[in-house]
Amino acid sequence: MNLPVEQKRTFLERIYLVEIVKGLAITLRHALHNLFKQDFETFEYPDVRKEMPERYKGAHRLTTRPDGRVKCVACMCCAQVCPAKCITIEAGELDDDPIEKYPVEFQIDMLRCIYCGFCVEACPKDAIRMDTGIYEINAFTRQDMIHDKAYMTDLMAGKKPLAESFYRAHQDAAPPGYDLEEDRVLPVDEPRGL
Amino acid sequence: MESHWTEVIVALIKCVFSLAFVMQIVPVLIWAERKFSAYIQDRPGPNRAHIMGIRAGGLVHTLVDVVKLVVKEDIIPDHVEKKFWFAAPVIAMSCALTTFTVVPWGDRFVVPASITAWWGGEGPLTVPLQVATINSGMLFILAIGSLSVYGVMLAGWSSNNKFSLLGGLRASAQMVSYELAMGLSVATMFMLYGTTELDKVAAQQAGPIWNWGLFGVLDADGFDPLLFVGWIVGGLAFIMFWTSVFAETNRMPFDLPEGEAELVAGYHVEYSSLRFALFFMAEYAHMIVGSAVTATLFFGGYNIPFLPGDSIRAHADTIVTVLGFGAVPVFIAFAVIAWNRRKRPFYQALAPDDIRHREPRFFAAFWSVLAIAHLGLGVAGLTGAVGSTALGPELLAFILQTSSLVIKVLIGTFFMIWVRWTIPRFRYDQLMNLGWRAMLPLALGNVFLAGIWVIFREAVQA
Amino acid sequence: MPTVKIDGIEVEVPAGTNMIEAARKVGIDIPHYCYHPHLSIAGNCRMCLVDVEAGGRGPDIACNMMARDGLAIRTDTPQVATMRRATMEFLLKNHPLDCPICDQSGECRLQDYYMEYGQYESRLSDPKVTKHKRVDIGDHLVLDAERCIACSRCVRFGDEITGTGELRLFNRTDHTEIGIFPGARIQHDYQGNLADICPVGAITNKDFRFTKRVWYLKETDAVCTECATGCNVRVCHQQGQVFRLLPRRNDAVNKSWMCDHGRQAFEAITGLDRLLRARVQGQPADLDDAVAAAATLLREAGGGVAVVLGHSASNEANWALLKLTRDNLPNATVYAVAGNDPGAWDRSDDFLMDADKNANSAGIAALMAHDPAIRDRSDLVQALADGDVDVMLVLGDDVLGRLGADGAGVRVIHVGSFRCTTSDAATVVLPAAHPYEQDATWTNRDRRVQRGRRAIHPAGDSEPAWALMERLGAALGKAPGATSAAAAFKSLASSVESFSGMTYQSLGNGGAVLASPPSPPTDDEDALETIHA
Repeated sequence: MNLPVEQKRTFLERIYLVEIVKGLAITLRHALHNLFKQDFETFEYPDVRKEMPERYKGAHRLTTRPDGRVKCVACMCCAQVCPAKCITIEAGELDDDPIEKYPVEFQIDMLRCIYCGFCVEACPKDAIRMDTGIYEINAFTRQDMIHDKAYMTDLMAGKKPLAESFYRAHQDAAPPGYDLEEDRVLPVDEPRGL
Repeated sequence: MESHWTEVIVALIKCVFSLAFVMQIVPVLIWAERKFSAYIQDRPGPNRAHIMGIRAGGLVHTLVDVVKLVVKEDIIPDHVEKKFWFAAPVIAMSCALTTFTVVPWGDRFVVPASITAWWGGEGPLTVPLQVATINSGMLFILAIGSLSVYGVMLAGWSSNNKFSLLGGLRASAQMVSYELAMGLSVATMFMLYGTTELDKVAAQQAGPIWNWGLFGVLDADGFDPLLFVGWIVGGLAFIMFWTSVFAETNRMPFDLPEGEAELVAGYHVEYSSLRFALFFMAEYAHMIVGSAVTATLFFGGYNIPFLPGDSIRAHADTIVTVLGFGAVPVFIAFAVIAWNRRKRPFYQALAPDDIRHREPRFFAAFWSVLAIAHLGLGVAGLTGAVGSTALGPELLAFILQTSSLVIKVLIGTFFMIWVRWTIPRFRYDQLMNLGWRAMLPLALGNVFLAGIWVIFREAVQA
Repeated sequence: MPTVKIDGIEVEVPAGTNMIEAARKVGIDIPHYCYHPHLSIAGNCRMCLVDVEAGGRGPDIACNMMARDGLAIRTDTPQVATMRRATMEFLLKNHPLDCPICDQSGECRLQDYYMEYGQYESRLSDPKVTKHKRVDIGDHLVLDAERCIACSRCVRFGDEITGTGELRLFNRTDHTEIGIFPGARIQHDYQGNLADICPVGAITNKDFRFTKRVWYLKETDAVCTECATGCNVRVCHQQGQVFRLLPRRNDAVNKSWMCDHGRQAFEAITGLDRLLRARVQGQPADLDDAVAAAATLLREAGGGVAVVLGHSASNEANWALLKLTRDNLPNATVYAVAGNDPGAWDRSDDFLMDADKNANSAGIAALMAHDPAIRDRSDLVQALADGDVDVMLVLGDDVLGRLGADGAGVRVIHVGSFRCTTSDAATVVLPAAHPYEQDATWTNRDRRVQRGRRAIHPAGDSEPAWALMERLGAALGKAPGATSAAAAFKSLASSVESFSGMTYQSLGNGGAVLASPPSPPTDDEDALETIHA
């Protein structure tokens, strides 16, 4: 094992004082610069917000079909792939819809979620997305940290998701059949809208 | 009978004043610590809390901090040694405050006969501006300063926690080590001044700047270039004393007792709420008192260079005129800067009805009012309204001298903060090497040097 | 027996064995949809096409290729892979690919074989043929004709097993669609099997619909205890909750089938009638306190003590009860009360649903042959009428209900899983585990001892009945002395002649038949009448 060799220091360095003054000069330079220029890189967060990148993984939302129902068909692919096991889905049957299966309840425990985005990758229906750009996910109780179906469906009501601009810029990256205006994937050539 | 009660009341007033002196600076220091460290690290620092929209550059945070510390739950762990655990923060705080009793913050205050007549006093009453005028002032500082290690040590031991115990051990070892260098530096100055009474020490440094203890000249009636070599003795003593003050206050780079990385929070890891606040404030009180003692020993104490107390009293009107008119453009400049701050991007990003839009207006008004007030002060000086009264010159001398000490204390504490955010922590062996193998021999040598210098100085002055 | 060669491996199989079964014997899986070991061979899915090396002309379907000397087939040639891929492409041509909402996904042959032999790239340019979806064809079944691959397994099941023949294939070519005649409805008691044998998601079970994705479920081999047939089942459960039962193949008992009643029997585990806590004088009590109360009752009985064996309880529990009685209660009389509990399900036929709803009647008969002192139903009726019974210890069965007695003047200790007349009248109730909650054996109507394994933890405070007998024995002075179900069975096997030589290992998954037939109970006319009424 090579032990670190003691560095040879000059006398001036050994009495510390000169080096200390040099260090003090550096910090003072920064302090004075910031005092007069006030040009920090810091975002004054709640008032000034950073624009999130398009592919930022924010809070989850559930996308809807034109008739307002969630696209999710409770296939449990997301729940299966979730490494934190934070997704709970209760499936139910729709009598009046060719897509028979739907989630009666869809919950994500945001306290457990690690924002890996696997659920988005796994979803065969483009039903769950993390393109909300919402990163302030907080609540006063643990119960409130469990996002449910109603919350995640209404999350982006009237707001533009981040992915919109992304897909606009990278049209080949959009899912097949993705419609920018509607921000949803239109059925390709499936007669039953599946 | 009458004078007896007067003394008691005057002593009480002085106690309250000295307590207030230290405790009022503490929040300012906490604010400075945060803001200055932020600026050193290229970030804005505290800027959120506000009262009615006035953020005052983060000063409100300190206030909120106090409220938080007072309101927080006071957790008393089951495993602590209760008696000592309760006593430790009190010891820490009271030691810091007690030291300040012997520091003079002005030469004297003569209460005019017209006022003493209110309570039947006979003639003017001369009050020394120092809580305890004791003839062993410097030794008192050493004695109380050594006691403060008990606060840390007891806190560390009674917390019954290995981290705090290690912190306490380190603190006591460190304080004992640096006590020696500190004591010897004080002894050096004691030899130069020829007295241990701090009021006399301060009085000796009145007049020109080379009368400061730092230069070791002292009592020179005229300036002799030959005497300027005295700074070797005084300067060495200052450096060692100042370094020891750092060590005694457990400040960076000597904050091994608190070393967060290895000891969580060191000796006060088990304390919370107001008890923690006592330790927290004690640290800043130590800084203030340490700076005050340093100022008194080396930097002329309350004295304004080239302007002894008697000169202030004699030229009261002139000084008020100059200060009053001189301050006006400064405050107007401040007002303009404050007004212009409304153009900052931050205010642009705020909602139009945000309460914080008041801030630039408020501070512009604040500085303008101050400017007008000082204009009035200057006019008062011109008309000779100050010097003509008996109380005026006394008040002016008191205010200026106390301000002088405050400014010196602030410079000292500011330097401490500056050092804290510049220099990394020592390793323990480096700490001990510096204390025992560098500073102790140097301090001992300096005592001998001081002896030679005193003889030499007498010879030159004779 | 003919010897055939599969992928170069020689194997000797009985005559009449087809190549799928022969290949399975040497560990080679030949993919297939329409072939089912308990149905006739249709050969219409074409998935099992293999190359014939010698002894025939190929390629040919393995399911209809019977073993004969000199036959050699290969399943590993590129040609076989091509054929399988082509077959998959055909089968998937009109498949809707609604796997996300299909209950079959996870156990779907289409998914499995697609991953192995699939085409992966679609060549379909025309629209898919649409068919009927979500057709209600029975009380327990939903049909999705689009998912169907027309293997005709369900048609053959209706024709050959139940003989009802409701399902048929309609239309031709890729418009072929499975369906039922207008107005018809599948109404037999074996509907669940149709969902089981469907290799894809065309017929799914209504009761299990959308409740759970199958890949979450763990399976435990168990035995159905709803009647004397003792169908072999797989218990599918997750996190202590049973979600469905599937039949487990046992050619000697139930082949690959089970009835719909047995399939839903797991619902009783969490049913309202389940006994979850011990009770003393009708008040909930700690299990220890209840056992102590029962022991006190038995020890300080004023009159006679009647111990009634359980016809639906396991062999282990009955043996533990018998041993406990002989060891601790020398004056007690042991009875066995045949017959069905009032309120028991009443459907029966000559296939799987036996009229005797007790899972262990044959086991009790074996015990009666071993211990002639065991009295029967009429003796207990007589004893109750004479007032000779002060304390009655009942294992599982609703004895009072079977006898139509009100139990006045009798203090009853009931050890059982479900609430009944007896448990309502009981002074002390000890909660016993459900059959799916314990390791135990039952003896079915063919005197086959079959082993069920514990799928989930016993609910509430309940414990396996043999363990409760251990507690009671310990409280009375001498415990039967078994520390596990296996030990309890070992004790039974070493003492009772007809069980001799059996262990849990030797029972395996198929079970074993009792050694010698016991003398038939001749004087039990009432019971026989009750059963065959």
